[in-house]
Amino acid sequence: MGREKTNKPNERIKTFAGRLISYSILITWTLITILPLFWMAYSSFKSNAELTKNIYSFPRDLFDNKMDEYFVIAPQLNVVPDYDTEVDKRERLIIESSTISPERRLMVHFLVKEDLPPEIASLKPGDILNVSQLPFDMRVRISRNTIFFNYISAFKRGGLVVKFFNSLLYAGVSTFFINFFGLMMAFALSKMQFRKLSYVIIGLVGLGYLISINSVIIPLFLMLTAVNLTDTHIGIILVYTAFGLPLAVMLESQFMKGLPDSLIESAYIDGASTFRAFTSIIVPMSVPVIVTVSIISALGIWNEFMLVLVLASSEITKSLPVGVFSFSSLTSTQLGWQLAALVIATAPAMIVYLIFQKRLAIGVVGGAVKG
Amino acid sequence: MIYLGMIAPALCIYLFIVTYPVFYSIWLSFTDFNPNRGGNWNWIGLYQYKTMFQDPNFWHALKNNLIVVAVSVFGQIPIGFALAYILYRKLVRGANLFQTTVFLPHFLSTIVIGTMWKRLFQADGPISVLIQMISGDPTAQFDLMLYSETVMIPIGFALIWIYTGLYMIIFLANLQKINDNLIEVAKIDGASETQIFFRIIVPMLSGTILVSTVLAIAGSLRGFDLIFSITTQGLQRNNAMVLPIFMYQTAFQNYTNEMRFAYGAAISNAIVLISVILILFSNFISRKLQSGLEE
Repeated sequence: MGREKTNKPNERIKTFAGRLISYSILITWTLITILPLFWMAYSSFKSNAELTKNIYSFPRDLFDNKMDEYFVIAPQLNVVPDYDTEVDKRERLIIESSTISPERRLMVHFLVKEDLPPEIASLKPGDILNVSQLPFDMRVRISRNTIFFNYISAFKRGGLVVKFFNSLLYAGVSTFFINFFGLMMAFALSKMQFRKLSYVIIGLVGLGYLISINSVIIPLFLMLTAVNLTDTHIGIILVYTAFGLPLAVMLESQFMKGLPDSLIESAYIDGASTFRAFTSIIVPMSVPVIVTVSIISALGIWNEFMLVLVLASSEITKSLPVGVFSFSSLTSTQLGWQLAALVIATAPAMIVYLIFQKRLAIGVVGGAVKG
Repeated sequence: MIYLGMIAPALCIYLFIVTYPVFYSIWLSFTDFNPNRGGNWNWIGLYQYKTMFQDPNFWHALKNNLIVVAVSVFGQIPIGFALAYILYRKLVRGANLFQTTVFLPHFLSTIVIGTMWKRLFQADGPISVLIQMISGDPTAQFDLMLYSETVMIPIGFALIWIYTGLYMIIFLANLQKINDNLIEVAKIDGASETQIFFRIIVPMLSGTILVSTVLAIAGSLRGFDLIFSITTQGLQRNNAMVLPIFMYQTAFQNYTNEMRFAYGAAISNAIVLISVILILFSNFISRKLQSGLEE
């Protein structure tokens, strides 16, 4: 391609213009993609006052906390301790920030009096205290809590810790079962006799691509209600496993077909059982496709919304997307907290994506074209 | 025996949880079943579908849903194709970086993305501020989300933002399968870039375009998360109502309707039926186009 280009000046201008247009289109689209996410990420470290003042400015309030002023406040009903009052009976000095959401009892610290110098421990409600007067380790802790104020609040007030682990559980356990059952089925379909029957079963399972959880959510709900599995981890995992199988069986059986039959035959000659050949030859060789299937399934489950929205009614079974959705729909939720919650739900998926980007692209294309 | 043993667990789970509900849903939509009434039910024929066709909400949701389909087919696919083509012709450096970035939204939770865009589009949100800075008018607001005539515009934009990368990746993978010699030969024969594009690239990718169209149609008709999370409950969500949201609200929020599950099942089935019709239609169009090209 390169030869003709350099010969004629006309051609060279054309190529240059083509490059210019290409770059501007791609850069524009990349910026459109990345800027909203970037705004979300850095704004999650801004205080509410900053967000109201200038929605685009970079975060400063929460980071610049070395000389923050605090008021000493009296214990009240609306001041929720961050420690277990039953176990820990030590006396505390309660202080509230005078700059970050003052008077709203949101930015509050509980300092153990016995660790404080006597002149600070004896301060009365209404007195002013500067962070720089505190002992070093307390300063460090308060500084850290200030920087991650939005994140700590999101985790605590949105109950996101439980939901985060639920999401991990759903994604992890379902992905394990998807692979466990998917591999067995893929092996039987691609490497054993009954070719005709296998063909029919592959077609049947392939039809599963056309059915999404959303389109059969009502019967699923009624079925799980009938066996009392709504609002349980098992019910949700069961559904995720079933709907993950078509992709796993398709990609894995396709991959196994590509493995030479002689591998298994020589294993049989050596006296290995079918099961043995499966576990010690086929499965280890299928690791690349297992990884692809796992990541696609796990990310899909991590992001899935409607099933959990319908099935989970109590806090202990809800997943992160549902938690983030209801948390950010509350009018009392500060914008900074909402943005922090959004980052909490996206960051793990983003990291997994960046690590496995190449493999994901291949897997998604393979799955899409087959469907 | 081993064969059966290895297939049975997966097949049972699949048949019972994926296949069976499809038939359950069809059965349900022809009955007046209500689990809270002791499980007694009667065949009532097409009653639910009749109610649906007389329900103005259904037509409103269908209209919005068709807008979503149009945005996907005529927005995401062409933009995705254009981006893939630029990457394929190797006109730029750092193609990997572009590819990684543009594909990223596809793997993020749609609920999170919807909530993010809700905040961005808020009356006092970043987009409004941007408009104020550009126009110099401090009272300017981004208000497209507020009116039922315009609410689908920002939603369409967010949809393009999420899914364009997917089509870009699919097109890129298939473009890379095209034999380079073909283009070289065409060049030697004096074909221009535009001729190469329309006479070689597009015809060779017609299958991929069709697959993408099918994906886009099926995906947009069942899409629930984005519109559910980008709108606020109430008027705004009703303005932007699409069929899956209509189905969800009917079955799981409208407790006054005795037959809410049966009616919801009818809506679900209608969604599947409409996507099958649209897919067959696009298949038909592509055949027509192809025979037109050959003449």
